[in-house]
Amino acid sequence: MNATGTMALLSGLAAPAVEVVAGDQISFPLGPRVIFWLLCLLTLGGAIVTITRKNLIGAVMAMVATFFGIAGLYAMLFAHFLAAIQVLVYAGGIMVLFVFVIMVLNREESEPWVVRSPITRALGMGALVYLMVRLGQLLWAAGPKADGPAGYLTFKPEPPPADFGTIAGMGSLFFTDYLFPFEAISILLVIAVIGAVVLARSTVARATSIYDVPEGEIDQRQPQHVAQDQLEGISLHGDQVPAAAAAADDHGGAHGGGAHGGGH
Amino acid sequence: MVPFHYLNYLLLLGALLFTVGVIGVIWRRNALLALMSIELMLNAANLTLLTFARAHHDMRGHALAFLVIAVAAAEAAIGLAIVVGVFRNRRSTNLDDLNLMKY
Repeated sequence: MNATGTMALLSGLAAPAVEVVAGDQISFPLGPRVIFWLLCLLTLGGAIVTITRKNLIGAVMAMVATFFGIAGLYAMLFAHFLAAIQVLVYAGGIMVLFVFVIMVLNREESEPWVVRSPITRALGMGALVYLMVRLGQLLWAAGPKADGPAGYLTFKPEPPPADFGTIAGMGSLFFTDYLFPFEAISILLVIAVIGAVVLARSTVARATSIYDVPEGEIDQRQPQHVAQDQLEGISLHGDQVPAAAAAADDHGGAHGGGAHGGGH
Repeated sequence: MVPFHYLNYLLLLGALLFTVGVIGVIWRRNALLALMSIELMLNAANLTLLTFARAHHDMRGHALAFLVIAVAAAEAAIGLAIVVGVFRNRRSTNLDDLNLMKY
């Protein structure tokens, strides 16, 4: 296990994934292929785990794993900016919001899964299987095909140009062709923030407010005058020994007057 | 960096994620899990958008996916506020308990 062998293995994993099309053979380095399948497994596994959890926090954690898998797939699709945005907004923002709300609504479900009669369940499962198969068929037929000439030629198999998926590319789109959706999204987000605050606002009326003081009552409070004999036992120096305090009692009048004067 | 002939598998993954999201919305009674499944469906659509953007070298798929992410964030915030409000009135996050408009 020499250093060069390890470095060769690691650089093979991190190799720039360039396809070599020689005739009919498309060869692709092993590292990115393994990472691709691992990310797909993470994404799909995380999604299935999410919907089967009874514990809501477990479901949120599985969802975060799904989002990380999806972000990895975005990065493999040359969508670097969107991979970062996916982690920041989805895993880092929306899921944190879900965790807050789950903490607030801390209720266990009595019957978490919908249970219906066997016929309805069979029909439902059949419908879902049909949805999955049909959707998969449609998308497979619409995607690039390695052996079909028409599908392969319409799409561009070579890697995209260097500014694909960057922030600059996104900006050049958003500030020219898609300026209106960009501004509209800003307004939508403001509306969403205001709406969330209004909807989740507490409906209990406040007991008092500092602005509710009636007229003329603000400066009516008088300072409290403590009676003279209550000031006798108070010592301004807390660590005085009782003997010294007893000696101070002889000068009680002078000290009381001094303490009283300091009380204002 | 995905092998070009694997883009089909990415589209298939998008379809499967969408179906898992549909199952989550229909099957689970908790309102929060239903919202999470809706986010899953939106992510599946985003994955499909970005796959086709890679295939066509067109960044407009990225722009649309970015807008979808922003809309999903806004919708999640409002949906969670609604769930909190409903919980305050009915003390339950069970979707079967929201049956006032039932026949």
